[in-house]
Amino acid sequence: MSGVRLGLLTVLGLALVAAVAGGALGTAARQRVSPLLGALVGAAAVWTGALAWSGGTGRVVVGTVLPGVTAAYAPDRLGGAFLVLVGGVTVLASVWAFDGARGTAASRTAWVAYPLFVLGLLGVMAAADVVAFLLAWEVMAVASAVLVLADHARRPEVVGAGLWYAGMTQLSFLLVLGGFAVLASAAGGTGWSDLARLAPDAGATGAGVGLLLLGFVTKAGAVPVHVWLPRAHPEAPSHVSALMSAAMVKAGVYGVLLVVVRLLPAGPSWWGLALLVVGSASAVFGILQAGVAADLKRLLAYSTTENVGLILVAVGAAQVTTARGDVETGHVLLVAALLLTFGHAAAKSVLFLTAGSVLHATGLRDLDRLGGLGRTMPWTCGAFGVAALGAAGLPVTAGFVAEWTLLQALVHAGGPADPRLGLVSALAVTVVALTAGLALMTFTKAFGIAFLGRPRSDGAAAAHEVGRAERLAAAVGALAVLGLGLVPGPMATAAVRALGVDGVTAAGTTLAAGVRLGGVAPAPGSAGEAASGTAALVPVLDPLALGLAALAALVVVAGVVARLRRRAPRRAVELGWGCGGARVSPRMQYTATSYAEPLVRIFDAPLGVSRSVATTTADAPYVVRAMSFRQRVRDVFEEHGYRPLLRAAARVGDAGRALHNGSVHRYLAWSFATFVVVLGLAAR
Amino acid sequence: MSGEVAGEVRVVVAVVLQTVVVVVAAPFLVGVLRQVRARWEGRVGQGLLQPWRDLVKLARKEPLQASGSTVVAWVAPVVVLGSGLLLAALVPTVTTAGPARLPADLFVVVSVLLVGTVALGLLGLDAGSAFGGMGSSRHLTIAALVEPTVLLAVYALSVPVGSTALGPIVEGRLADPGRVVAPAGVLAVVALAIAVVAETARIPVDNPSTHLELTMVHEAMVLESSGRDLAAVELGSWLRLSVLLALVANLVVPWGVATAGDGGPGLPALALGVVAVVVKTAASGVVLATAEVFMAKLRLFRVPELLTGSFVLAFLAVTGSYVIG
Amino acid sequence: MSSGDASQAVALLAGLELLTAVLLAWRGPASSPRGPLAVQGFALAGLVAVIGVAEGEPVLWLVALLVGVLKGVVLPTLVVRRPSRAAGPAAPPAADRPATVRPVVRPAVVRGRSRVPLLLGAAGLVVVAYLAARPVTRVVTGATGQALPVGFALVLVGFALLATGRRSQSQLVGFLVLDNGIATTAFLATGGVPLVVELGVSLDVLLVVLVLQVLGSRIDTAFGAGAPGGTDLDQLRELHD
Repeated sequence: MSGVRLGLLTVLGLALVAAVAGGALGTAARQRVSPLLGALVGAAAVWTGALAWSGGTGRVVVGTVLPGVTAAYAPDRLGGAFLVLVGGVTVLASVWAFDGARGTAASRTAWVAYPLFVLGLLGVMAAADVVAFLLAWEVMAVASAVLVLADHARRPEVVGAGLWYAGMTQLSFLLVLGGFAVLASAAGGTGWSDLARLAPDAGATGAGVGLLLLGFVTKAGAVPVHVWLPRAHPEAPSHVSALMSAAMVKAGVYGVLLVVVRLLPAGPSWWGLALLVVGSASAVFGILQAGVAADLKRLLAYSTTENVGLILVAVGAAQVTTARGDVETGHVLLVAALLLTFGHAAAKSVLFLTAGSVLHATGLRDLDRLGGLGRTMPWTCGAFGVAALGAAGLPVTAGFVAEWTLLQALVHAGGPADPRLGLVSALAVTVVALTAGLALMTFTKAFGIAFLGRPRSDGAAAAHEVGRAERLAAAVGALAVLGLGLVPGPMATAAVRALGVDGVTAAGTTLAAGVRLGGVAPAPGSAGEAASGTAALVPVLDPLALGLAALAALVVVAGVVARLRRRAPRRAVELGWGCGGARVSPRMQYTATSYAEPLVRIFDAPLGVSRSVATTTADAPYVVRAMSFRQRVRDVFEEHGYRPLLRAAARVGDAGRALHNGSVHRYLAWSFATFVVVLGLAAR
Repeated sequence: MSGEVAGEVRVVVAVVLQTVVVVVAAPFLVGVLRQVRARWEGRVGQGLLQPWRDLVKLARKEPLQASGSTVVAWVAPVVVLGSGLLLAALVPTVTTAGPARLPADLFVVVSVLLVGTVALGLLGLDAGSAFGGMGSSRHLTIAALVEPTVLLAVYALSVPVGSTALGPIVEGRLADPGRVVAPAGVLAVVALAIAVVAETARIPVDNPSTHLELTMVHEAMVLESSGRDLAAVELGSWLRLSVLLALVANLVVPWGVATAGDGGPGLPALALGVVAVVVKTAASGVVLATAEVFMAKLRLFRVPELLTGSFVLAFLAVTGSYVIG
Repeated sequence: MSSGDASQAVALLAGLELLTAVLLAWRGPASSPRGPLAVQGFALAGLVAVIGVAEGEPVLWLVALLVGVLKGVVLPTLVVRRPSRAAGPAAPPAADRPATVRPVVRPAVVRGRSRVPLLLGAAGLVVVAYLAARPVTRVVTGATGQALPVGFALVLVGFALLATGRRSQSQLVGFLVLDNGIATTAFLATGGVPLVVELGVSLDVLLVVLVLQVLGSRIDTAFGAGAPGGTDLDQLRELHD
């Protein structure tokens, strides 16, 4: 039995045991056993994925209820990479859940659904044919919907979020189902190898791929089918949010990669252009919404949309460049997409888990009421800070390496040989740059408002550091963010292997492993090469060297500061200066809403902001007694896209009432008519 | 092999020298800016040495820290200064040579700059005063809007060379002076210059000498810092200003900079490089200060317009680098 | 002058024209369009001169001179000229309103018209121009053909200025940019225009600007709009009745 097969069976067995245990055990035992089993499932998945990633093969065939239809699970290298990702996030989320899952999040139902959700997620990555993929996809969709609804009894808004989520996730399933049905009927088989034989520019292939991409980006939470994401992520229990944002959304990304890289790598460039447009819109819109969000988990959810957008930009640009003949740059872009995926998974799981810790410690998600947590929750603060750096793409984190690779590849795409591609990449660079800049602001806001300053409410003032398991999960995740950023070489090499492409080499010789983008070096004989030799022009990034240089600078500074410190020690004072003692009440601090005010003004049209200021004055208009300020940020897509659609659907539904008036005869007549019509169709 | 090692050593020496030169000269550059402004306004001015005196004075004073503020109060100034030092080492001011493992890649340079920006932003939020948050919010908004301009200008500058590393870009301009006046290059440098003005909080985006809190951007964030914390923040900001100004000067007038050559730059080249960069930067400082005298600060909500304009220039630079060379 | 030098000079001058066009779109209502317009005119003249040297046609020198004088000096001056109002109020119009004390107005957001959409639009138009000019650039050979998209871009940006300008002056500016674009395209595509044709076209433009200027100042005097950029055309909607 091969390692991968053993691993797959272990994962399957452990997950089923976990589901049964979740249903059978009592509350106290469940609280200890279920997270442990979840972590074991994750660890087994990491192990299996690592084996598949490094080239191992193995196959598990599952029978279905239909005779003759089987589902085969056999992860390849790409699937293996995603198994590692999902497994890793599962381990973190499960460890966190030892302390973090309480109340309804630790109910019997939730602990049954949790392992099944992970199992479905892993199944999607491991599937080797259409049936297996769809089976796992549906398990994932249903189980995650149950988890989102965990707290439905206490908070009514959870029900709304769950409905939106269930609707969108089933829509995505239908689209994927339709897409695969079209492709499979055109190919005459359901295995990936059958689908890979399709002619990429045939009409049926185009239709099938279109449906599939739409379904996958719905799962990935891209604009305009993102509406479930900012609702479901905040309302789900935090470890489930982490799993959804860091891992489940990646199922959509995996689906996109599966179609345009693995199955049909020679597709026409419009696939890539479509992905580019969707990705750009998602990136900019997502980060704008995140920038003005005041709910911490909602902010993180919109930032997920942004990150997925960036990943789609990378994949789309890769598809376009490859289709236009610049294969090597395309490969580098794909590697960038994978680096972005892993960087985002690491950062976002930490962010959601620490946000969950903040929620436990204070009972608050609203940034406008938080503040000053850095002193009371130093561990959580540190982990959140590192992950926020990663999400904002600053050195030395995984996010920085990924964005650097993406930008380098985009800048080198096109060139004078293909100016039109150059224009596309210039627009893409603009999108990436604007997104990166706004992400910086967003995460400075999230970190600074929540952890610095003074508590803005009693809940925030009464905060305390959370349990050991929560801290451990957050710290390990933060270390992963730093590790992937400091020594990105092995990860880049592994990404190259996962995609079966080249163009990137790990630069490590003496110091450590950096990234060297051999694929985008200027061609021999070009103007750039003549200037100073090709070798100097290959983009190189060695974060460790950068880190050492920064360390050297900091050592010098610290030395000077230490000398000065002996001379004049720091003195603590009760009040800051505040320009003359303006620092009386914590309510006078800037809040998340006020922090985002310039952004709201500049981008008010795409954000759809409505605000009202009411002033109550005394006798003269100058004596203000009270002011109230209300601001609502709407989602323009929801407002102008979905609401009319839903209203129309409701109208159709109302009209449909005429069909069933309660008379049994009429119902029977309908059934009979349908039967006849079906018979007629069958006889044709 | 030993030749290679010797070359590396020389490069490191050159980089350290470059850093020291920038650190020593940065307060003088600020002195030049203030002095020029004073003379234009008919004042005597405080002399070129005053910024250095201020620094020494601040560094000796005890810093006050309000209760309730966190380690950020002293870590952030150190980070700001550290990022400034790193910038001074990376960006080719005196020499275009740099360690092979750490080329002055513009994307990396921008990210180092942004680390400083974020540290400042957090410093503003740490003390929990209203003005700090205000400055932080504005500062980060401007930084976010500047980013597209900077990266597109980088893109445009990289097209003729095929690399985003600053060393080759400056050397390429030195080798082919036609590039300095090529439209794409001119547009990119103009866009970059506007971005630098915004990033270093100069007029018309921010007024460095304002005393009115409501109009502050940069100053509002450091209101609560004192003593050596303030000294570190000030020196860090001056380093940013000097390095970026020197970079623009080197892009416009690349002559005099010590090139990498074979086995690292020699001493005469470095000496020439030091003189050249001091002269060039001082001259651009005079130009900047003179321009500031004749300009008013923009209203904050007109700043996006300015930045859009610079973005369009950068975009045209990229387009132009394909269309008309 | 080698062909390499010529193409570099053409690129520089074309870039200058593009830059001034963007500056004109960027310009706030208070600043004068005269400088950028003049620079654009001189750049166009320089372009003609460079083509003249490259093609060895002395006649083009004359054309260049004509273009320089007309587009670099005469037209920009005409555009910004304010009619002298002998009968008009000497003080600024704000002062002759009755001196009522107004309540303190606290504007939520004071918005002048933002230039951002126009600026971004201009960037987009340049891309469109570039794509539209592709078929032509393929046909036109020589050093000058590569700069052809700039002419197209000028035409489009000029049109945009013409379509969005709210004051009579900015419309005139748009018209001139448009005309400069047409001239640039003509010179670059054909390698020079005969003197007679250029003379005729120039006279036409001069006439149009004169007529518009006279009309504009008449309207100004009649309706008393004192804004620095000329009459606000939005206020004239009622005129057709």
